[in-house]
Amino acid sequence: MSTDAPHEVRPAADTAAGRAPRKADDAGQPAHKGGLRRKGLSERNRPLWMLIPGGALMIIIIVVPLLLGIYMSVLNLDQYTLRKWISAPLIGAENFVEAVTDSPLLHAVWLSVSYSLLAMVVTLPLGIAAAVATQNAFKGRAVIRSVFLIPYVLPSFVVATVWRTMLQPGGIVDEALATVGIHVGLWLNGPQTFWTLVLVQIWASWPFIYLLALSGLQSVDHEVHEASALDGALWWNKLRYVIFPYLKGPLSLAFLIGMLHHINNFTLPFVLFGVPAPADVEVLPILTYVTSFQSFRFGLSAAMAFISLVLIAIPLFVYLRAVKLDDAETPGAKK
Amino acid sequence: MRFKSTTGLAAIVTAAALALTGCGSGSGNGGGSTSSDGKVDGTGKTLNVLVGVLSQYPEQQKQWQSDIAAKFKAETGADVKFETFASANDELTRIQTSVVSGQGPDVYGLGTTFTPTAYATKAFVTLSDDDWKKVGGKDRFNPAALGISGPDKDHQAGIPFVSRPFVMAYNKDLLAAAGIDKPATSWDELAAQAKKMTNGDTYGIATGYKDNFDPWKFIWAMSVQAGNPLVDGNKLKMDDPTVKKAYQTYFGWLTNDKVVDPAAVGWSNSNAVAAFASGKAGYLMMTTSSSIPTLDKSAIAGKYEYTLMPTIAPGETKSKSDGDAASILSGDNLVVADYSKQKDLAFAYIKLITSKEEQLNYQKTFGDLPANGDALKELAGNAKLKPITDAAAKSKATPFTGAWGDIQLGLLNVTVQSVPDLAAGKVDEAALDSRIKDAQNKGQASLDRASKG
Repeated sequence: MSTDAPHEVRPAADTAAGRAPRKADDAGQPAHKGGLRRKGLSERNRPLWMLIPGGALMIIIIVVPLLLGIYMSVLNLDQYTLRKWISAPLIGAENFVEAVTDSPLLHAVWLSVSYSLLAMVVTLPLGIAAAVATQNAFKGRAVIRSVFLIPYVLPSFVVATVWRTMLQPGGIVDEALATVGIHVGLWLNGPQTFWTLVLVQIWASWPFIYLLALSGLQSVDHEVHEASALDGALWWNKLRYVIFPYLKGPLSLAFLIGMLHHINNFTLPFVLFGVPAPADVEVLPILTYVTSFQSFRFGLSAAMAFISLVLIAIPLFVYLRAVKLDDAETPGAKK
Repeated sequence: MRFKSTTGLAAIVTAAALALTGCGSGSGNGGGSTSSDGKVDGTGKTLNVLVGVLSQYPEQQKQWQSDIAAKFKAETGADVKFETFASANDELTRIQTSVVSGQGPDVYGLGTTFTPTAYATKAFVTLSDDDWKKVGGKDRFNPAALGISGPDKDHQAGIPFVSRPFVMAYNKDLLAAAGIDKPATSWDELAAQAKKMTNGDTYGIATGYKDNFDPWKFIWAMSVQAGNPLVDGNKLKMDDPTVKKAYQTYFGWLTNDKVVDPAAVGWSNSNAVAAFASGKAGYLMMTTSSSIPTLDKSAIAGKYEYTLMPTIAPGETKSKSDGDAASILSGDNLVVADYSKQKDLAFAYIKLITSKEEQLNYQKTFGDLPANGDALKELAGNAKLKPITDAAAKSKATPFTGAWGDIQLGLLNVTVQSVPDLAAGKVDEAALDSRIKDAQNKGQASLDRASKG
């Protein structure tokens, strides 16, 4: 948005790669210095009315349901009051109190966050390694790159169904492990389910990191490689101090989107474990679903959803401020 | 949108509903003019019917629907438009949206155990005497089938359409080889017989512990047979010793008696059917006539029979329930939406498809038993169907309360959380107690809300 705060934190590589950001600065500067006359088209007469269709859609699709959800959360809305839901009894904060004190909500939040973080911590190096490995041209690279994307393009439902079949007691995974003398026990019930969920999530989501890392790598200017080669940087130093700073932007974005996606992932645990889910994988979306559509406590479940929204929004906000993803000037995100 | 907040989940239904509310308010009655001879004239109108898809018989279902539509057109002049739902979740979503928006299908097909929840929404017509006359009279139905139509005789919303009682199947050869001359009638006897048949990779009983429905049906049946109907007025009685005994018996097949394949901890009902069909199990528990097509094409075609499941609770010598409780009252009910503007037409449609002729026709095609009394009587003469018609007459309704969904979920959840223990070969008693207690508390809370609702 603003064009005047790009210079505070500049990774070392930026001085080498500074040309492109400069250009952006040049384009931006007249707006500041040129006064009203030259601001003209770009700011004063911006045709904001053109945002109306999009804005209206945003209101209908996002704002209205959100407000309704919040309204529902203060109603005693269940199967008995659903039909005339507008006149369902108003019970204030009762749903919130029940959600926090008398439901597995906090446990679910803990499960969701820890599982998402674990999956993320493993997929990050995996994705980066895969991106780096396929950066330089070699024979068959196109094929490998396409193969890497398979888990990403498969629908979640298919991924979960296939894994569920493989992980059944006496299924193909158990048999394969048994041939080397490992007996793991149940994958789809009991305490191990948590790790099953993490495992399948890793399998399904590392290509996303890979994709964004790859896009980051491709934005590294050719001169940067040349310059670091001239300076005699070996591969690790080059990777660590020259290339990785370029990846910071895309990978921060990947981390953020990935975390949100994992926390909100309903299909994977639902298809893998079914409902009622084993207590160790009763993650947020499953809990909200069961409360809404098995117990018919729509009000309570709206309260749960709202609490989890707030819980997610706080770190999200802090994080967004910290990494300034909205700043077009960070390296890697610049183009 | 994919990454949007979880609020979306709860809000989407409402959003969709809101969009529809505007045009859906106001209710009307009638629909088609009724002439003096009771015929409904629905010329130019269209009746919307929502029913479950019969995935086993997709072609036949389409055929049946177009046949019925033609007959209905001939009778009333109105068209029928069928919509289907693929799963219980699908159905729920449809019902919720319609309930909130006040528009949608005129007639719904509902599973029996879902009827109390649907009734609790008050979105469906509670039939008056007059309404019953319009569907052909209450006395045309098998009295047992009316057991889960409403909370009492005067408040009934569900019109029975078909019965699908649960029975067990047994492998005649395996029973004979083990020297058993007739199938068990008590759960104790069942375990004893199953032990005799278990040998190597052949097991006495095939059942799926990971099924989404079966477990609670066993617990319900054994508890009811021991004299505990689970719900007594506003009290939930899951903490009763009979319930614990039921779980111990059900889990015990695997852990103590070792008459169930250990892999069954990961099985659903269809895995159990497959195990039985391969001839590796003496008894197939909790099945319906819908397993006939699979079994008749399998290795054991002609070597199996159906019979009633045991009706004497574990540790007892006779049934303590009034009525034998051989099965939950299972099948489909039809309900007419309260918001429908063509209720008479809806009743006329129901009258048509619950007639003796159509019910027999339906049974022939799909295997489900008629809810029509005369039609059922006619089938009782059929030896192969005898055990199933018996089970239909000896079925007992699950408690009629809006809280039943929660109670059922609680019963099932005890099994789900016990599966790791089952796999390890021992279900710890203290753990079982605490799981039952948890289910009792949640279920009781739900019942409390129901009594206020």
